[in-house]
Amino acid sequence: MNDNEKEEAANLKEEFEWVLREEVHAILHQLHTVLVECAHRFPVPLYGNEGQKQDKFILTSQPEQLKCIVTLTGDSITHADISFKVLRQMHTICRTSINQDGPWKLQQIQDAANHLQQAIGYIDNVDKHYVFRSSEEVLHIIQCLIGSLQRARTALVLPKKKAIDELMKSRNMDSLQKALSPNLPEDLAISFYLQSHKLIFVAYHISSVHGTMRIDSCQADCAVPWLSDVLFMMTAALHMCQQLKDKV
Amino acid sequence: MPGTNLIVPVVLWGKHAPTHCVSSVYLSRDQKTLVTGCYDGQICIWQVDPETLKMTPRCLLVGHTAPVTCLSRASILQDNNFIVSSSEAGEMCTWDLVDGKCRESAKLTQVHTNIQAYHMCNSEDLRLFCNGYYAEILIMDPFSLEILFSLSSKMNPDWISALHVLRPSSRKDDVVLAISITGTVKVWSLLGHENKQSEPIYENESKQIRCLNALSLNCCAYNQRTVLIVCAKYCQIYDAGDFSVLCSIEAPSGERWMSGDFLAPDRVLVWSTEGKGYLYKLPANKLRGRAVCSSVPDHKGFHGPTVDHDSPVLYGILAHPDNKLLSCPPAMRFVLTSVGGKQRRLLLRGDSAGVVLLWNVDDAAPAVVGKIASHAPIVMTSLEMAWAEMNPSPVGILDQFSHPEEPEIKLTASIYLLEANRLVVGREDGSIVIVNATHTVQLQLLHGNHQQLDDWPPHQLLLGHNGRVNCLLYPHHVHHRYDKSHLVSGGIDFAVCLWDLFSGALLHRFCVHAGEITQLIVPPHNCSPRIQKCICSVASDHSVTLLSLSERKCVTLASRHLFPVVTIKWRPADDFMVVGCSDGTVYVWQMETGHLDRVLQGMIAEEVLSACDETAADELGGAIAAGTDLQGLANPAVHFFSVVRCLSQLVSNRAPVARGLRHRNLTAMRAATQRGLAALHAGERGPRAGPLAEPARPRPPPLTIQGFRSNPADPEGHILFFDIEGLIVELLSEEYSAMSPASLELIL
Repeated sequence: MNDNEKEEAANLKEEFEWVLREEVHAILHQLHTVLVECAHRFPVPLYGNEGQKQDKFILTSQPEQLKCIVTLTGDSITHADISFKVLRQMHTICRTSINQDGPWKLQQIQDAANHLQQAIGYIDNVDKHYVFRSSEEVLHIIQCLIGSLQRARTALVLPKKKAIDELMKSRNMDSLQKALSPNLPEDLAISFYLQSHKLIFVAYHISSVHGTMRIDSCQADCAVPWLSDVLFMMTAALHMCQQLKDKV
Repeated sequence: MPGTNLIVPVVLWGKHAPTHCVSSVYLSRDQKTLVTGCYDGQICIWQVDPETLKMTPRCLLVGHTAPVTCLSRASILQDNNFIVSSSEAGEMCTWDLVDGKCRESAKLTQVHTNIQAYHMCNSEDLRLFCNGYYAEILIMDPFSLEILFSLSSKMNPDWISALHVLRPSSRKDDVVLAISITGTVKVWSLLGHENKQSEPIYENESKQIRCLNALSLNCCAYNQRTVLIVCAKYCQIYDAGDFSVLCSIEAPSGERWMSGDFLAPDRVLVWSTEGKGYLYKLPANKLRGRAVCSSVPDHKGFHGPTVDHDSPVLYGILAHPDNKLLSCPPAMRFVLTSVGGKQRRLLLRGDSAGVVLLWNVDDAAPAVVGKIASHAPIVMTSLEMAWAEMNPSPVGILDQFSHPEEPEIKLTASIYLLEANRLVVGREDGSIVIVNATHTVQLQLLHGNHQQLDDWPPHQLLLGHNGRVNCLLYPHHVHHRYDKSHLVSGGIDFAVCLWDLFSGALLHRFCVHAGEITQLIVPPHNCSPRIQKCICSVASDHSVTLLSLSERKCVTLASRHLFPVVTIKWRPADDFMVVGCSDGTVYVWQMETGHLDRVLQGMIAEEVLSACDETAADELGGAIAAGTDLQGLANPAVHFFSVVRCLSQLVSNRAPVARGLRHRNLTAMRAATQRGLAALHAGERGPRAGPLAEPARPRPPPLTIQGFRSNPADPEGHILFFDIEGLIVELLSEEYSAMSPASLELIL
């Protein structure tokens, strides 16, 4: 190794120590700001964000097959007027509603919020005056952060797939719970879920054709403004994590 | 690999122990087995001497793709050798501790953070009570890994952060006590006849307390009136009857609590993120219940403000004298063991350096006022120490190149060329070594004259990379359209090199990436003719290129990815290369023109990726193109999850392997010999076929070598797969060829 190379190696080492000492904290602080801002967009109490926000959405599908007016309070649908035409029986219109007593909980919102809270927790756990001594320490924290953020994002973007009988038995559909009034006939089921920035409503009709089960469905969706903000900020935060990870 | 053959894996670990950053620990009740799970997904089984507590690493179980978060026993029987593990990716496995095989595996959408194994009333064996990133409590069978039933919440349903299952002394049913992350305490009573078909099971009682993000919840086993709840900043003792706070202990400055348990009605052990255990004596006047002698019936001081003399008193610290820097909080567990009727209470810790510590909690002297005693661990061990103790040290596959006085050059990549029986190894200094595989294995494993020879076996050295060689590819192996002499390597110096395998010449150096090369793969055979001559390379700057080996230039540079590349899939018919990134985005590139066709996210992205699998499966008649899935990019061990539930014996030295060959598998070997003879025989009977004709079924290769690494930063170890049947066929046919037809008749 000649002198130039030695000097370069020394400089690089110094630069690396600077990154550990100053840069990591600065980036973590920025991340914290982004994530707290993200948490404040959530309609549920989360990280100093008080109260339950309420939103109204209208979901329709062409041609007039399905119509649904939804009130979303916090992470639950507290009120909904639902009407849809059953496939194959074009003239029957099925009506039902969700009311205050049996709200339809969107578990995806709670899951995402909890993962986000966990991510913020990882940053909060780092003392502002703590001096990082190795890149492994930083990598471990970033790895945890990326894990939580990715789970949070996935919770919103990729709804868990449920079997139809699982849906029928869920507490939202359960006839004993009286979540839906009036109750739906046995061969019909409905479902609400989030997918990226959209709230989606699906109505299923289960019929048996030559002994095999056949499921017809029709769906409608509408955009949820706070969801796109949240997803945008999560992606930005993930990107920041990745950049920091590439640095150390 | 053929399933019916007897294959003996032999691992050459090299001089360094694999990285083992412990994420969970478990010690069996009989003190015979210690299990540690690590952040890279491997699980290490240690054999423990119940008397001396000496620990020897025995097996490394490969299978999980994410940090191992929970380890639990699977049965109440003492001599039952099964454990259940669960990872952060939702994978669960039941392992046989004796032979290291995975008996059952499942992938759930629910990810557990904690598992308590509990013997319910009306059930034959243990049930796993799981909580995690979901709002229910799942009760699972440890052997089938099926969800038997789940417990739901009616009041403020939210994730459960901790739970404890117990059978109160006066009752016959089981009680599940749990706390949600927002601080709602819930109680379920179980009668033992719950199942999946039954109506949702809701909590019997719930109460909101001021306790967010609890980490653990434990009822006092000695006095069922008190509950210990640990949060990061403080831990609190609650009254089990009405959940009022009895007393509270703040975490030492700079540390956070992780978990804790009761030692006696008035004693608790809590441990912190720094890996220390703290022993506290609780003020007697605050507790109640029959087991507390000094309890007074009316409890006047019970809800009153905490004054100095009745706060918990610290009387002992379980610490490690040389407090080395840890890169993450260690995994700790309080275990009760019983050996020969003698009960012991131990605190177990596994840290980021792979060090396992064990404290005897009962050694800690009873509280003496004003004196805090510090206790050192009774056992300390690690994989590194086990490696250092060994003489001779574990062999590596290229040990002949290392000289005692020079620093060792780590091996970083390897491929085995089956036809030529050559092993190509890339090293940290940028050199690539090519050596005859049988010779180098012979040198490491067998004693003989050849060990005295210098410069044996002869090798070829390819010099061209400036720094670590990250990956190697021999495209001819994957498809015969490629030139037999071409070898491709990728390095830390951002370059992809094309070599002539026979002359050793550097044919070309592709410098198109702006980051170190991490992976080299071969596009499918039905691409356009131009792409067929290409190989695909992936770099740490998240770029992907198609490099033409015949044109010696880059055909396509795909470099708009913001996140690391996780998968590459192909749509040859549409000329598309589909790149999946770690954030779930999918980029669709046109291969010939290098245009970015579209960027997809969410559900559509998933669908496009799975559609690629379907088309690939159609074209190959059900077999999915191998080598295109980059899941193993970060961690090569991942391949094993679906392919081989691999066990890799921690070969302490050469002896156990040889013994395995001689005794343990003798019957299997005899069977293999018979099969081998039959195969030869069949060949002989065939029309005009000599004794050396190829048998009807392709002969399995007697030896294959697979590189292996548990952490991306580790040097590579190697697994040698000796196919006994292939070996015997080989040996027999060699022998036959030396015999005259008459003597052959005699044997048969």
